[in-house]
Amino acid sequence: MKLVLGLAFWAGCAFAQSGIEVPAIGAIVDSTGTLRLVQGVAGNFWLGPAKVWGVLSAACSDRRCLVKTDSKILSPTGETDAPPGPAIFDIDGDEAILFFPQQGIFARWHADTLDALDWAVNGEILSVRLRGAETEIAVRRDGQVWIVRPDGSVVDSIGESVGPVLLLPEGVLFAAADELVLRRQDAPEVRLPLSRAQSITAMGAHYAAVHAGNHVGNDAIYALRTEPGRESLFLLPGDTP
Amino acid sequence: MRIATLLALVVPLVASAQIALFTVNNGAEVPIGAVLDLGKVAVGDTASVRIRVRNIGTKTANITYFFADGVGFSVDRPTLPFPIAPGSVQDALLSFTQTTVAPLYPANLRVDSDINSVSAYVIAAVVVGPALTVFPACTGSNGPPPSIDFGPVQAGQVRLCNFSLQNPGAQDMTISTFQIAGAAFHISMGPSAPFTIPGGGAITFVVNFTPGAAASYTGSLAIATRTYSLKGTAFNTPLPTPLLEFDSGSIQSAQQRRLTMRLPSAAASSASGSVALAFLPDTTVATDDPAVVFLATGSRSLPFSVTQGSTLISIGGQTSAMFQTGTTSGRIRFTLSGVVTAGDPTTLLTIPATAMSIDSAIATRRLGDLDIQLTGFDNTYSAGVMTFTFSDISGQTLPPGAIRADFTQDFRTFFTKAQAGSAFQVRVSFPVTGDTSGIGSVDVQLSNSAGIKSQHLIFQ
Repeated sequence: MKLVLGLAFWAGCAFAQSGIEVPAIGAIVDSTGTLRLVQGVAGNFWLGPAKVWGVLSAACSDRRCLVKTDSKILSPTGETDAPPGPAIFDIDGDEAILFFPQQGIFARWHADTLDALDWAVNGEILSVRLRGAETEIAVRRDGQVWIVRPDGSVVDSIGESVGPVLLLPEGVLFAAADELVLRRQDAPEVRLPLSRAQSITAMGAHYAAVHAGNHVGNDAIYALRTEPGRESLFLLPGDTP
Repeated sequence: MRIATLLALVVPLVASAQIALFTVNNGAEVPIGAVLDLGKVAVGDTASVRIRVRNIGTKTANITYFFADGVGFSVDRPTLPFPIAPGSVQDALLSFTQTTVAPLYPANLRVDSDINSVSAYVIAAVVVGPALTVFPACTGSNGPPPSIDFGPVQAGQVRLCNFSLQNPGAQDMTISTFQIAGAAFHISMGPSAPFTIPGGGAITFVVNFTPGAAASYTGSLAIATRTYSLKGTAFNTPLPTPLLEFDSGSIQSAQQRRLTMRLPSAAASSASGSVALAFLPDTTVATDDPAVVFLATGSRSLPFSVTQGSTLISIGGQTSAMFQTGTTSGRIRFTLSGVVTAGDPTTLLTIPATAMSIDSAIATRRLGDLDIQLTGFDNTYSAGVMTFTFSDISGQTLPPGAIRADFTQDFRTFFTKAQAGSAFQVRVSFPVTGDTSGIGSVDVQLSNSAGIKSQHLIFQ
């Protein structure tokens, strides 16, 4: 094998000349409904400037964030009309699967277009997972959380979930009593103490955003690192008055 | 003829009712009669009275003249001309000051409008005033404005202030006004008015400031023609010096740590204030690290409070406060404000300089390129030299062996421009001629002034 190695910087985004940039973690929706970029490294976060206002839901992958406002789905490439209210969604590559709780309908997003899906899944939809052509859905029925396919077939169950659930590419993150549980197929289960988790969303490729609090002024947003072996729960800086 | 005379009498009366003059004292209007007496004014002092022009008519009055014509008098009012709508008012400040003693200083206060004119005869007398000397620990002056400051006093304690009142003139001086007002202030020793100070003589008196609770206090001391404003502040019993403590473990960059505060003994009284942090970087490349904040608010200050009888200090309503240590070596300084403490509770945390820290690293192949992405931080701000050694899938080092590159200037430019701590994401690409599938791994060494960080990456 004969190789000739050279050396050059890639053209980056923020500092294209140097190839060095501020590290991006992902994005969150803050307490005022504003989309904020999360930057930094583990244990050292700061919130970037407000990007979008009036945000009801958001989810980010390693490549893009999708944002749901009251009537639109916003992406880095454009916007799409959408049913009112929040959305639950997952992004895989250039596609996303969405669920609109107020209308009880699923849809597929691609290239800033939205196509309704005729899936009918009973129960409280908690999270969706899109991997290639396969979609799985976390749904709560009679206090029990199930992971099902769109045709209703059961894939798995989560016995002790009492709160929000986020389906991850290779596992599931859910709130149990006073702790978060990160369960994956090929890694030990991780439990991190946290009470009053209200919601869990995909912040970025390796982080989930966990909103916790009692809605009386003690709300906080946590960043949970999901990479195997590096699982940690961090507190994100609150909104500066 | 009789009708014309009658009209001539009526019209001026109607017109004269258009604007009227008042003095205003504590919000109360008092009509100004033919004479307005400002009374006795000590040499060099300024006597002021608030004048109100009220439009009591039904048409807008345009004020074209508003002066007090007389030596030593002035009127502070809007620039002429100005309108006053029906029912509206315009206030002005009539002041008088003179340095020559005389029994009568007259002036004609006149206000002209396009409808009518009003005027009053203003008089004042200038007299030799007594001179007050304030002894420590109080401070003060004869003005203007005359004031006395009793300073900070612990609540429940007494501060005695000694005064001397001199008669600078050669004639006896009768002091007919000598009274104090305001909670917590009273004259504990001294004469009662009226009293006489002989020419060139003096009397002494003592004023007690006895605040009952922590607060700011004001009052007044009227002596003859002059009124001194009094002020003092009271604080609670000093808190035992608060202890600022941190959760266990060595302090490093990129940590989220917990601050707790407690008292070594119970607080004698409830107190509240603020705890603030500041960052002092070791490097000169950055002036600050903005990620060093309290996490609850993303700011550098939080309120705290302690209740009487307790040793526990609540920070922002919680038993502790989380903060970030940032990505810069240096010192984090915690200070308290808003409370009086027995000692200085300022606490310094040292963030040591360390070798570069890698938060995540990825090595990937593309057609014709090998890409390495490193995310981490360099808390010394001296990063730059990197060494890359590629190996095949069996672990054998590939020629040419270690490839050294110096990105010092690139990092320096980035850190200087970003001013966001030392966190970075650097992407390095190696153009490759040949088949890249046989390249299995790369060993990366990153150097800074504190050491060398090594990272072994498997190509994906």
